[in-house]
Amino acid sequence: MAAPKQQKFLEIIKPHSTYEFIGNQKYWIGTSIFLVVLTIIMLPLNAFVIKSRGHLLNWGVDFRGGTEMVIEFSRPVDAGELRSTLRQIGHESSDVVRYEDPSGRNKNVYMVRLGAVSVLSTTQARQAEQALAKLGEASLKKFEWSEGGDKVYLRYDKAVPTATLSSSLQAVGINANQVQPFGRLEENTYEVTLVSLDKEIWRHLDEKLGPGTVSGVPQVESVGAKAGKQLQFDGVRSLVAAILLIMVYILFRFDFRYAPGTAAALLHDAVITVGAFAITYKEFSLTTVAAILTIIGFSMNDTIVVFDRIRENAARLRDRKFDRVVNQSINETLSRTIWTSATVFFVTLAMNVFGVGVIRDFAFAMNVGVVVGTYSSIFIASPILIWLNEKYLLSQRKTTARSGREARRPKRGDELETEA
Amino acid sequence: MERSWWWKALLYGCMVAVACLYLVPTVVPEQKQPDFIRRHFQKRIQLGLDLQGGLHLVYEVHVDKAVSDKVDRIASEIEDRLNKNKKMSGVTITREGRDDIIAVFKNPTEQSLIDEELLREFRRQLDLVKRDPVSGTVRLRLDPDQIEEVRDSALRQGIETIRGRVDKFGVAEPTIIRKGTDIIVELPGLKTADFERIKTIIGRTAQLEFKIVDDGAEYMRKVAAQLPKGSGIEVLPESWTEKDSGKPHEDVYLRAKSRDVLEKFFAGLIGENALPPDHEIGYEETALRNDAGEATQDRSWRTLYLKRRAVLTGEYLSNADQTWDQQTGRPEVSFEFDHQGAVLSERMTRENMGRKMAIMLDDKITSAPVIEGVISSRGRITLGSFGDPFQMQQEAKDLVAVLRSGALPAPLRKTFETQVGPTMGRDSIEKAKFSMYIGAAAVVLFMLIYYRLAGLMANVAMVVNLLFMVAILAAFEASLTLPGIAGLVLTIGMAVDANIIIYERIREELRNGKSPRSAVDAGFARAFWTVFDAHVTNFVAGVVLYSYGSGPIRGFAVTLLVGIITNLVTSYWLSRWMFELMVGRRSGAPATLSI
Repeated sequence: MAAPKQQKFLEIIKPHSTYEFIGNQKYWIGTSIFLVVLTIIMLPLNAFVIKSRGHLLNWGVDFRGGTEMVIEFSRPVDAGELRSTLRQIGHESSDVVRYEDPSGRNKNVYMVRLGAVSVLSTTQARQAEQALAKLGEASLKKFEWSEGGDKVYLRYDKAVPTATLSSSLQAVGINANQVQPFGRLEENTYEVTLVSLDKEIWRHLDEKLGPGTVSGVPQVESVGAKAGKQLQFDGVRSLVAAILLIMVYILFRFDFRYAPGTAAALLHDAVITVGAFAITYKEFSLTTVAAILTIIGFSMNDTIVVFDRIRENAARLRDRKFDRVVNQSINETLSRTIWTSATVFFVTLAMNVFGVGVIRDFAFAMNVGVVVGTYSSIFIASPILIWLNEKYLLSQRKTTARSGREARRPKRGDELETEA
Repeated sequence: MERSWWWKALLYGCMVAVACLYLVPTVVPEQKQPDFIRRHFQKRIQLGLDLQGGLHLVYEVHVDKAVSDKVDRIASEIEDRLNKNKKMSGVTITREGRDDIIAVFKNPTEQSLIDEELLREFRRQLDLVKRDPVSGTVRLRLDPDQIEEVRDSALRQGIETIRGRVDKFGVAEPTIIRKGTDIIVELPGLKTADFERIKTIIGRTAQLEFKIVDDGAEYMRKVAAQLPKGSGIEVLPESWTEKDSGKPHEDVYLRAKSRDVLEKFFAGLIGENALPPDHEIGYEETALRNDAGEATQDRSWRTLYLKRRAVLTGEYLSNADQTWDQQTGRPEVSFEFDHQGAVLSERMTRENMGRKMAIMLDDKITSAPVIEGVISSRGRITLGSFGDPFQMQQEAKDLVAVLRSGALPAPLRKTFETQVGPTMGRDSIEKAKFSMYIGAAAVVLFMLIYYRLAGLMANVAMVVNLLFMVAILAAFEASLTLPGIAGLVLTIGMAVDANIIIYERIREELRNGKSPRSAVDAGFARAFWTVFDAHVTNFVAGVVLYSYGSGPIRGFAVTLLVGIITNLVTSYWLSRWMFELMVGRRSGAPATLSI
């Protein structure tokens, strides 16, 4: 068959490019190290130095624990006014920010973030315990309440009518939805279910700012402090699990020289994405963790494309130095590495610009992650592969010297040895 | 075109057709759906609660308290048993930690009283950890299997209790699932006004109480006489005789179609008509009987005048089972009290012989049998004498479940809560849709300009992929959350990635001088494992995400996982099939590819 005529394609990244990636790796790796170090410095800086921040990251309420409410007002309310009103009713540290209502209909909407989860504060609980110590004949044996709990358990030495309990609680400013006997009769224990914090805040705000000022509370999120800590821990654990599982898969599909590079690249992506949240101090929530896990999966796409080509070329170009092979492979696959990331970048950018709330935060994380992920496939994963290959060859040579001829027979999976 | 191509055409055609059918219920309003769709394709995508509003709650179950309670109970049983032995010089039973019981005998030689026989009775529950003849100390520990069982049943009962309460509330599609020792409750579409009420209802500790019915009381007659006309409340007499003594009991009760009517009536009574503080009104739901005395489908509520103080609670029960009445063969419920329960029960039944005992769960009387004999440690509850035996057995089983769940309350503690009003979601969907269109347009345009005809095919594959994804989500009745929408948008960007990898490979093969036909073959073949590996790693991350998240995040993980699978099909095999259109013609392949 006659050779078909050479076709022309629309090419933005030209084939047969000879960019030097590996030769200049110290600059690239330097940049990465700089970004990672910046992240590590930024975290304590946020927590201890920058007054307006105060936490490692701007943890969402799901991690921080506490209550986050979106409050709609029927008349313009000043953020300072709101903050001082909250302080009056016992919430010292509250975050009050104007909330961007997705529909744009109501302008007087605020997002209020409180540290508390329960209507009962520790000091209030102590007051209540004293006030309830003696009810008629009965005296309080045990006041059981864990911080942030929505229930209080009271144990008396004699039976107390639940109605008496309710009214005594009300007298010290504690509203209960329900008071009922609990457990065995002779234990005289009563379970008090407290009113939820958002209802109480609503009531207090209406009281202080005038009835009907609060027109609605369309969104409330509350997380116990312990649950938040658990989520942080689980988040880190799942991140590690994802990286390890992917590493094992690479180990199985390629070989041991490829796996550590991918793991390092993934960790690098995750850390720098966190860094972007540390620097911008955007809210770091469960959705952000979801985005980081997605990035980890997606970032592997590029790494696999490059590694596949390296493996293919290493087998073909045995007379070339391995780092040259890697450089050539990166060049050959550059176009697809960049375009696959670009399409994802397009859509996430659209979400970042036009989306709202959760979607926007998610998209921001993805934007950062996609860029960093592409970069790490080229500048992190590949150099580590080269380095490990050299180590491997060195150790091979040592064994060869020791055990003579036998070990020289090439084994399967040794295709990387291109210096022969 | 080869024959296999046509077979594949048929296959893909069918897949698309089925996907479209599954989408009809989601897309077309119900009135406009054809009949057969309404019959066979009822499943549709639900909006997650972040989109339609609702309540998301996570409760932690204090399983350890349930375990500790169990050990407490066993410890007191053993203490009672040993104390029955009059010859013994004394023993102190103490509890240590969650699982341990320690018995210290005054006379060390008596430690052998905890012998084989006693241990055999608790064999399933206890392990003998240490026996010290010198100090007369015996340490017993709850068996690990038993611990697991108690924890597990506490959780299961927690879920069942919550489900029962939520069902009574009539929420459309409640999701109640277990995750570790947490119970996740999702109530999409719940009205904002009901949030507080349902939270109180769910969070309440299940309370099973036994209360005595104060029949023949003057109060009920007095109140019944003052009943206004047309209130929808009937006054009915009731009488029975004591089994042994033949002493007659007479009473009146009120009956109405709904409990609300009765509750309002009693709440409105003031002054000397007000309910005495030591009494309360219990409500029981009953089936209305027709003239022949058979139970009908219609339900009504009746009152029972109760002594307020509970004489016993579910805490004292150690077991309950559905059994059969030896004489009549009708289903009945037998239960067992623990030692303390037996003492209380004996006193109560002796003092109230011939009266009714109301068994109450969550403020509702589940049954009110007449006390026919002294009940100490074991008792039986006979259900009404009418009715369908199968239905009666069901009722008996329900009662058993109630008795058992009352036996071990493990307090719930709310750790997580999200309330979303309905308007928040609607606006978010609009914005998300808009960003989806913009993102999709950018990708489609890029593929068309950069890869021309091949790009068009990738776009077709991407659209089919979206179609499959949404159809699968509909078939599983998955709920679409806001992050889930983000997942869909993301899939648009990722769907064409496999095509880009394959196309770049084909271009390379063409540059190396291969003919279009063999370049396409080689391109697809060589890119397969690259594409496959990339999908696997994405999938792994998705699975981890699924197990980590709950609620909306899970919705996102599901979309992502479904998208990864469908994408492998569309971007590889479907595209491959479409390429046959370009290069598979029998009358000579084209000299160039539009790629």
